[in-house]
Amino acid sequence: MSTSVPISNEKPVAAVNTDDPVGRHPLVLGGLGFKSITDRVAGISLGKTPKTWPFALALAVSLLMVLGGSLGWLVSQGVGVWGMNSTIGWAWDITGFVFWIGIGHAGTLISAILYLFRQKWRTSINRAAEAMTIFAVLAALIYPAFHVGRVWFAYWMLPIPNQMGMWPQMKSPLLWDVFAVSTYATVSALFWFVGLVPDFATLRDRADTKTKQIVYGILSLGWRGSHRAWLHYERAYQIFAGLSTPLVLSVHTIVSFDFAVSILPGWHTTIFPPYFVAGAIFSGFAMVVTLMVVARTALGLKHLITMRHLENMNKIILATGTMVGYAYGIEFFMAWYSGNPYESFALMNRVFGPYAWAYWTMVSCNVLFPQLFWFKKIRTSIPAMFAISIVVNVGMWFERFVIIVTSLHRDYIPSSWSYYRPSLVDMSTFVGTFGLFLTLFLLFCRFVPVIAIGEVKGVLPAADPHNPHDAHDAHGEKAGVEHHG
Amino acid sequence: MKRVPLPLAPEDPNAKRWWRSLGEHAGSPEFKESLPAEFPPGAALPPEGEGRRQFLTVMGASAAIATLAGCRRPEEHIMPYTRRPEEVVEGNPLYFATTFPFQGTAYGLLVESHEGRPTKVEGNPQHPESLGTTTLWSQAFILDLYDPDRTNSPRNKGQTKTWAEASDFLRAEGERLKAQQGKGLVVLTESHRSPSLAAQLRALREALPQAKVVRYEPFSSDNAHEGERLAFGRPLSMSLDLAKAKTIVTLDADVLSSDGSTVRQARGFVAGRDVDKGVEPNRLYVIESHLSTTGGSADHRLRIQSRQVPAFAFALAAELGKLGVDLGAGVAAAAEPKGQGLSEKAKRFVVAIAKELAGNRGRGVVVAGRKQPAEVHAVAHLINQALDAIGEGKPVRFHAAFDEDRDGPTVLTDLAASIGKNEVETLLILGGNPVFNAPADARFAEAIGKVRTSIHLSTVIDETSEKTTWHLNRTHLLEAWGDARSVDGTQSIVQPLIAPLFDGKSELEVLEMLLGGNRSGYDMVRATALGKAADAEKGWRKALHDGVWAGSASPVEAVTPAPDAVVKALGAFKGVSMDGLEVTFRPDDHAYDGRFANNAWLQELPDPSVKQTWGNAAGLSFSTANKLGVKDGDVITVSGAGGSITIPVAIMPGQADDSISLTFGQGRRAALRVAHKVGVDTGPIRQSAGFDVASGFSAQRTGGFVQAARTQEHFSMEGRPVAREGSYEEFKKDPTFAKKEAPRPELFNLWTSPVVDQGHAWGMAIDLNACLGCSACVTACQAENNTPVVGPDGVTRSREMHWLRIDRYYDGSPDEPETISQPMLCQHCESAPCEQVCPVAATTHSPEGLNDMAYNRCIGTRYCANNCPFKVRRFNYFHYNKDHDEFRKLQFNPEVTVRSRGVMEKCTFCVQRINRAKIEAKRDGKTRVEDGKIATACQAACPTQAITFGDLNDPKSAVSERAASARGYKLLEDINVKPRITYLARIRNRNPELEGA
Repeated sequence: MSTSVPISNEKPVAAVNTDDPVGRHPLVLGGLGFKSITDRVAGISLGKTPKTWPFALALAVSLLMVLGGSLGWLVSQGVGVWGMNSTIGWAWDITGFVFWIGIGHAGTLISAILYLFRQKWRTSINRAAEAMTIFAVLAALIYPAFHVGRVWFAYWMLPIPNQMGMWPQMKSPLLWDVFAVSTYATVSALFWFVGLVPDFATLRDRADTKTKQIVYGILSLGWRGSHRAWLHYERAYQIFAGLSTPLVLSVHTIVSFDFAVSILPGWHTTIFPPYFVAGAIFSGFAMVVTLMVVARTALGLKHLITMRHLENMNKIILATGTMVGYAYGIEFFMAWYSGNPYESFALMNRVFGPYAWAYWTMVSCNVLFPQLFWFKKIRTSIPAMFAISIVVNVGMWFERFVIIVTSLHRDYIPSSWSYYRPSLVDMSTFVGTFGLFLTLFLLFCRFVPVIAIGEVKGVLPAADPHNPHDAHDAHGEKAGVEHHG
Repeated sequence: MKRVPLPLAPEDPNAKRWWRSLGEHAGSPEFKESLPAEFPPGAALPPEGEGRRQFLTVMGASAAIATLAGCRRPEEHIMPYTRRPEEVVEGNPLYFATTFPFQGTAYGLLVESHEGRPTKVEGNPQHPESLGTTTLWSQAFILDLYDPDRTNSPRNKGQTKTWAEASDFLRAEGERLKAQQGKGLVVLTESHRSPSLAAQLRALREALPQAKVVRYEPFSSDNAHEGERLAFGRPLSMSLDLAKAKTIVTLDADVLSSDGSTVRQARGFVAGRDVDKGVEPNRLYVIESHLSTTGGSADHRLRIQSRQVPAFAFALAAELGKLGVDLGAGVAAAAEPKGQGLSEKAKRFVVAIAKELAGNRGRGVVVAGRKQPAEVHAVAHLINQALDAIGEGKPVRFHAAFDEDRDGPTVLTDLAASIGKNEVETLLILGGNPVFNAPADARFAEAIGKVRTSIHLSTVIDETSEKTTWHLNRTHLLEAWGDARSVDGTQSIVQPLIAPLFDGKSELEVLEMLLGGNRSGYDMVRATALGKAADAEKGWRKALHDGVWAGSASPVEAVTPAPDAVVKALGAFKGVSMDGLEVTFRPDDHAYDGRFANNAWLQELPDPSVKQTWGNAAGLSFSTANKLGVKDGDVITVSGAGGSITIPVAIMPGQADDSISLTFGQGRRAALRVAHKVGVDTGPIRQSAGFDVASGFSAQRTGGFVQAARTQEHFSMEGRPVAREGSYEEFKKDPTFAKKEAPRPELFNLWTSPVVDQGHAWGMAIDLNACLGCSACVTACQAENNTPVVGPDGVTRSREMHWLRIDRYYDGSPDEPETISQPMLCQHCESAPCEQVCPVAATTHSPEGLNDMAYNRCIGTRYCANNCPFKVRRFNYFHYNKDHDEFRKLQFNPEVTVRSRGVMEKCTFCVQRINRAKIEAKRDGKTRVEDGKIATACQAACPTQAITFGDLNDPKSAVSERAASARGYKLLEDINVKPRITYLARIRNRNPELEGA
């Protein structure tokens, strides 16, 4: 018996507990009820370690060690172990940063914006997506911290009072980044944790070892599942959703300022903020699809993460992919319309210059392949969506690479034009960030409820007091009710 | 610097024994073992070579030298600063005049010395060959002083010897040779113009009458002297005053960079085209095979194989004859048949040039290059004579030759032959590196092994020292006394700046030992010099102070042409055959003849044409490369002249077809840490016949590929108005044409601009019409600002650190492009994009308009470099300054931070010089720094004074005047960065008759 689901016979405040029943697939399949959901989800955290998990973790940790080794080498030798040069000061580093920050977008979007829009289908994916967000932001932070020449002074970017009387330079977009990303990371982490409290309490109550009881006990912050607690919880959750919503837009807007505020042709573009946000949502959802397709099989959550969830996400990928494609087109229009020769050169150089291969990789991955999602057959095919989601992430990595490197490598004065080739350490660092991300994600899957137990129960038909199928018994209990504010 | 404990006095067994610990008191073995742990291995020993104490000795000795303007104190004394030597103020550099003999002349220098360490070279304004500026070689040679590969003792068959032993040996050898009248002794020197060395060699000839004294230089001026002998009956020294010429024709002569007195010639050339002063610009025609610095500055350039240049010269003579210019009886007629086989384009050049020369008598000059045979020189002299261009106040002046010794390749083939005949018992080689740079057919490396006693005086163990029985460690030029006469005979003293760091001896001192004397170098130089002055001591002091003996220039010699000899020579002239591919040899752009191969600054200094560093390549024209089926970087085998080399190809813009341009001086085999295996040794195909220009070569692709380390990869301006130029016609029509090449929209600032109309406003003007692209400024900047060297790998990754670079652009076809050079450095934008993006405010604007870098604050985000539209910011990707030995550190300018890893750096407008001038102005009670008190390092070095720096707020300053030039323009005004550097557009003075040629 779960303590996390309040049981009430009162009429719910808002009675819109279920998705519109007409013509839509239910969000929870397989006849799962309150108890079986709890069993299923808590079982992952409390049950036996799945056989494949240690292997997966070993792989992820080895990649993490690659990251450690690469960064260790970087710090001991200098940034020169990467492939940048005097002309191209940023390459894989900031590409990786923007890539991961972009991926970190979907989680908060799902948990905050979709929450505010009452998108019920978010409930079974929001936990994992938020976790993904936080881990992606952590992976992203590796880059700004380590790409600087003197890592040991990277903290000078923070506004810490010091004996030098020096304050960071507020005109610099990099500084805005520091604030935007740190705020985003903090709020996302808190939002995630707040959502986790009731579920940690469930785990605490079901834990069979002392250690687990203590750890989950501490994490659940003394949650008792009282009405009052639920009320506060819902309120807090909503406030966080409200706070996070502008952050979803602001963080990538400000990341795009790194480029848009500069004077470099190809960077200096006013369309960047919306373009970056759309791209971030695009890549974030693609990453969620990639992970969920694997996780729902591996963790046996097919009934909770259903085809309908996946299809919805694919639709968002289709929509944002189209927006991104539109932005690519607008860049050409502006280059032509502005009459700026440097701008039009930068664009033509992207398309036909030495990095044309990267540009066309980007266009095909980001614009062409997602269009296949117009077809329901493809949209609902697991192998197809898995492949396309990966293609989209490859494409989005290339988008950042194209923006950063092709703009830098040929700017105003032709004598300094150059070409960038990544070094082995560039590659190992990037692969290593996947190690960090996957390690954290695997640990999350094993020890943290991957699905918001409390929330997902709220979308069960049984949770709806008006449900005509109320007779459909949820394990002999009355329907639980969510208290939406 | 590593700290060396003071050596302890020998222990007195009877003395009281103080102990520092119980362990020591007990004298336990554990304690003794623990000692090295506290004082790490080696700490108790002086470091290898020279340590701090030696350095202090040296410093003290140099401090003694510091007082030289007054008197010279014995070098042995250490001057404790408790009693400060006169003139020395710690932290204030002192400057001493000295001389750098090079390329057949001598450049007067002022060397900056910080507490006894020579750090930087400037030109001596009083010296006629320097005119206050330097060549890139004079700038860079100071680094060789601190070359860690220098040997610190003589060696005999690989065994280290002391100088006492070496001296005993030399004296004994001298005695032995005296007994046989010097029979079997050959003394081989480098080309020199040193009166003291000449005197010493004269003494040697007297004492050892049967000894032979020979001279060898891998790039000799024999052809020129033979030409003078042919035309005027005797060898002479030619000095050019190009300012007096309105038409300059160079026949394979790089007069602006490597042929003759380059500074003086370049200065004259530029003075003759200063259109802002209302000068009607001169016109430079360059006839050459390889695009030289001179070719890059040409108004019209004809690319023609070097072996065809004689035909061009003779055709020009014949054409002049037709126009009524009297070259002397029969010369034009004799030249005509030899001037055949030219292309249509070349013929057009001949006609146009001849017409212009004939119409500008007394104002035209034809200069033949070192590579060209004596006949070409002779004809050029006759043309100049006929055009009334020779004599006092004319473009060409002749002075008495220093001596009549030859120093070309036959010297070594003859020497090797006489070694083969067992005529040489003792070979004394004073400097040079003949085993490396002798002609291939001399087989000098084999020959030298047959000599019983061979002695080589050299700073490092080079290829020659590896083969000789004795290696004597030589002083660097800045460590020894000497003297030199420049081309016009001006005598100057080579004054040491520092006591020998590695305990070397100079060639004067070695000869003195051989002759059994005991005079020091100082005594000898003084003795030579004092012969000439009436008030000896006073004159000596003044010469030391000024760097030149005033009025020591030789008078201009009157010359009488000998056309008969020329006619005869022309009749017999054969020239180089036209078979196969032509190969030309020129001194390497980095290593010269190999002597600078171990100089990292020069190795990393990009060559002017394709910006290659760290190595050499076979220059091929675009068409020839296509014909051979090779691309840039492909490795080819060049075979001919009984040998072959494999060398990567560089496609050289403007290279003549079927002509391979090679440099000699790279590919050193000796174990030198910088030079080893850099580039390719072209020596194996350099024979004494065809030493400069050779024929009958073939080239095949090997299939290999070498990525050249180049600092510039893109040579087209892409139609952007970067380095602007116009024809003289355009200039006359609208002098402000350059300003109109880019839009100048009205733009607004996001934030208030700093107030710039008070105090100083530092700015710069760079005249592209004066810039030759010689790169002396780049080396000067590197020396002044402690700019690190990144090595070939770093350059390949485009991470070179030069704060100032010379951009080279080509326009037109790859075979026949027009060329322009543009110095590019931090523009100190008033609205600097770099400043606004730095998150930690490490780069900020000074109230005087400098874009400052606070290295200590920089965390290295590189955002500033990304946002710099000029891409002049340089990032320390690694700790480039980590592995310097103690000697290398001595060169560093103490006024400039040696940057660590992970920080950004860039041109500071030599802020250390600005601040010194400001301090001095303040000390003198002035409110402003007077104009001309500050010269940035690049400005001071520039032979043509293309760079002007100063206060833009002072309307009378030189920089304000230059910046106000009608030709002035600023880069990227349309993005509102407001650079503080004004470029002055280049003017090409085209000959309308060569339109379309």
